[in-house]
Amino acid sequence: MSPPSILSDDLLRQLMAVGQVDIMVGVPTLNNAATVGAVVQAAHFAFGNHFARERTVLINSDGGSSDGTPDIVREASRVESETVLAAHSLRTRHRISAPYHGVPGKGTALRTLFAAADLLQARAVAILDPEITSITPDGVFALLGPVLRDGVDFVSPAYARHPLDGPLVSQLVRPLFRAAYGRRLHEPMAADLGCSGTFAASCLEEAVWESDFARYGIDLWLSCAAVAGGFRMAEAALGPRTLGPRVARPGLQELFPQVVGSLFSCLEMHEAFWAGRTGSEAVPLLGEAPAVAGPAPPVERASLIEAFRTGVTDLGPLLEQVLSPETLEALHALSRAEGVITYPDRLWVATVMEFAAAHYRGVMHRQHLLQALVPLYLGRLAAFHARAEEVGVDATERALEALGESFEEAKPHLLGLWNKEGGR
Amino acid sequence: MGSDDLWYKDAIFYELPVKAYSDANGDGIGDFSGLTGRLDHLQDLGVDCIWVLPMYPSPFRDDGYDISDYYGIHPSYGSLDDFRAFLDTAHARGLKVLTELVVNHTSDAHPWFVEARNNPDSPRRDWYVWSDTDDRYHGVRIIFSDTERSNWAWDPVSKAHYWHRFFSHQPDLNYDNPTVREEMWNIMRFWLELGVDGFRVDAVPYLIEREGTSCENLPETHEVLKFLRRRLDEHFPGRVLLAEANMWPEDVQPYFAEGDEFHMAFHFPIMPRMFMALRLEDRKPLEEIFERTPAIPDSCQWALFLRNHDELTLEMVTNVERDYMYEQYARDPVARINLGIRHRLAPLLEGDRRRIELMNGLLMSLPGTPVLYYGDEIGMGDNIYLGDRNGVRTPMQWTGGWNAGFSTADPERLYQPLIQNPVYGYQAVNVESQRRQENSLLNWMKRLIRGRKSTRVFSRGGIEFLRPANHRVLAYVRALDHEKVLVVNNLSSTAQAVELDLRALAGAIPIEMFGRSLFPRINESPYVLTLGPYDFFWFRLRWL
Repeated sequence: MSPPSILSDDLLRQLMAVGQVDIMVGVPTLNNAATVGAVVQAAHFAFGNHFARERTVLINSDGGSSDGTPDIVREASRVESETVLAAHSLRTRHRISAPYHGVPGKGTALRTLFAAADLLQARAVAILDPEITSITPDGVFALLGPVLRDGVDFVSPAYARHPLDGPLVSQLVRPLFRAAYGRRLHEPMAADLGCSGTFAASCLEEAVWESDFARYGIDLWLSCAAVAGGFRMAEAALGPRTLGPRVARPGLQELFPQVVGSLFSCLEMHEAFWAGRTGSEAVPLLGEAPAVAGPAPPVERASLIEAFRTGVTDLGPLLEQVLSPETLEALHALSRAEGVITYPDRLWVATVMEFAAAHYRGVMHRQHLLQALVPLYLGRLAAFHARAEEVGVDATERALEALGESFEEAKPHLLGLWNKEGGR
Repeated sequence: MGSDDLWYKDAIFYELPVKAYSDANGDGIGDFSGLTGRLDHLQDLGVDCIWVLPMYPSPFRDDGYDISDYYGIHPSYGSLDDFRAFLDTAHARGLKVLTELVVNHTSDAHPWFVEARNNPDSPRRDWYVWSDTDDRYHGVRIIFSDTERSNWAWDPVSKAHYWHRFFSHQPDLNYDNPTVREEMWNIMRFWLELGVDGFRVDAVPYLIEREGTSCENLPETHEVLKFLRRRLDEHFPGRVLLAEANMWPEDVQPYFAEGDEFHMAFHFPIMPRMFMALRLEDRKPLEEIFERTPAIPDSCQWALFLRNHDELTLEMVTNVERDYMYEQYARDPVARINLGIRHRLAPLLEGDRRRIELMNGLLMSLPGTPVLYYGDEIGMGDNIYLGDRNGVRTPMQWTGGWNAGFSTADPERLYQPLIQNPVYGYQAVNVESQRRQENSLLNWMKRLIRGRKSTRVFSRGGIEFLRPANHRVLAYVRALDHEKVLVVNNLSSTAQAVELDLRALAGAIPIEMFGRSLFPRINESPYVLTLGPYDFFWFRLRWL
């Protein structure tokens, strides 16, 4: 009995017609008609402006859109203005739009794209998020160029963002990733990326594609796999990031366990890699260092604090199973405080690490555990916002750097909890 | 045995006579310094192991297989220091080196034999096989039937007969004498300590004689060989013994024993059948020989070749097959010698690039370690009028200049004349010009070798023959663990269509290994392929 195919026969036939390529741009979609056109056009212009001689293909791997996304992709690829471009491709530009097989989700779409890249022997691959409409032809070039030119295997974007934008990344994902994996990446779970064909092929060999990772945490897993696999990495400055309108985005209660659960699971998967490492190193940044861009996102600080207090009170018995008495006591003290709370870095780092270790050791159902961290995260978010408001943008940037250092310094604490007897 | 100790399974071997390769001191004879200077070429080609033909002091009545000193280097080839420098340079480039071990006999000029014949009371006397009469071991076949009438030769000095399976000037050593075994191990140890990576062991079936037998493949012979292997493993693990035993595969199998005798052995009968299948445009001869090829221990490996320094031997074919081969490949009677044909690869295939490619494609894709013969990578020709098998041992053709770049000596001084005809002469066929032509045979060979080495399926995998209705197409699947490669060869001079039953591989995507083109996914239906004349495909199968 042969294993089920990743690639449909229709897609394979189209790949046969394309043959070997130098560059592949992949766009995974699911009902992205409103935004995907701009993304595809950026890729298309990048082919003309930057890769006139290279063999290129754009592949849209679609999860069964009902809003005409594949049609938009096809139309956007047919740029009538090509003839007036100063530089245009010398070769046929191939574009393919094909539905993917398997469990719906980005993982399946990516697996399809990586399999196509492997078959086409693509030297460089860019994966573009159909919702990030700020991507430009130069941005596409920035993701692909280092792979073709410098032999980089994994290019992660660095966006110009406000330090309070994307707090789940800045407060938890980025610093924990930094401490564990020893690399300072701006966006460890970026949806846009560039990579080598070698990296894509190696990812295909990993046993993650049938797991929950594939649905919720594949972007994060790719960064982790790049570091753990010893691949050469770089960051590309892409400027500000703009997300197009979308019908519905998952709320924090849904998103938080997906993201944080994925990161905790990555730690478990790559334990042999990170456990013995200390310190961190920056990943080479290509292009201008990302500046602060955009306004601070608004938050309802009072409701965050209320959620924190309620959580600490209601989830007390559950938190007792996860947190050390010192951490728990400090949280109770915080929850009893009047007005604006102060959630210090040291306490936040301890909270996260104790949850990560408890996740690893399976002290309770993992979904329950991750949900229990949400109110604590909201408390930390409220506290950080309050402090940022006082100190300004530059100091907030520095505070985020200091948070990263605190996570690094506390890594022995994480290891101690991880290896604690009586666990798994 | 560690995985690295199995290096010989993944390697590409390259056979060369030192005298023919490159002459550094300008005396007209190739030498080790010259060879050392040509290692770039071998490395570039993708060779992993150099098999050096006999380089010992010798009267050269059998091209060096008549050794007169096992511990030295023939002065024409340089000194022991030159050999050491060659070995070190080769190793520094990741190249291994096999030398010849002629175990069966010495030269009659060897001091051992000189002492033995001059003094019947000498301890050396018993190092050889003597008889007062020439009727012992009656009926044992004569190998060099063109030149020898008996396996006994009369020694007028000691007034006795001595036993020889090859030329009469090559007396057989007496392996019933334990001292001879110990001395042979001493010889091996000497070269192993210098750093050689193993030996191609010459004429192994003939070490022991017993009355009433064929004097070939006797159990006592295996005991001698096992003794040498045991010593090798004890003192030099990872070094290799390659057997020369021109026999049917089922007869060679015992030389692998339980993996404790030879690491490798040549599979002689495959070679003529490759040529036969090509001329017949029919896969039958090859399928038949593989059917009678037994399994060998996991640590062992067949060595395959298209041509070597000897004649294309037709010992392992039937009379009908031999007649056919002579008619097809050696119409000129001068090309026939002993039971074989003294042509190189390219002339055998009439210089037809497509057939040369197909034959090399078979060599690289069938189970075994390929052994290339020097010069065949550029399609060198031969000179059958040079006597014996010297016509396939002419100087290597490096350039179109003076002496083909082989030597700075006067052309008259070369050990043998160069090939000079307009078709295969060095002005037309040489390394330098082929290096500069993208589509030359040399560059094609490099690509082929890269393809072969891109996967261990070819070197370590199993083989399963497909049997399509079209008998002109030879197709097989090589498999190692989850990796699979489909090989399809058109043995015919005309384009062919073939329907392959690949249901067992349904779902796989064939990727042509040289161009990396994708082919339609395999399903439950017959898989149709079309191939041009002498065309072949290697498909890596991927399940995606």
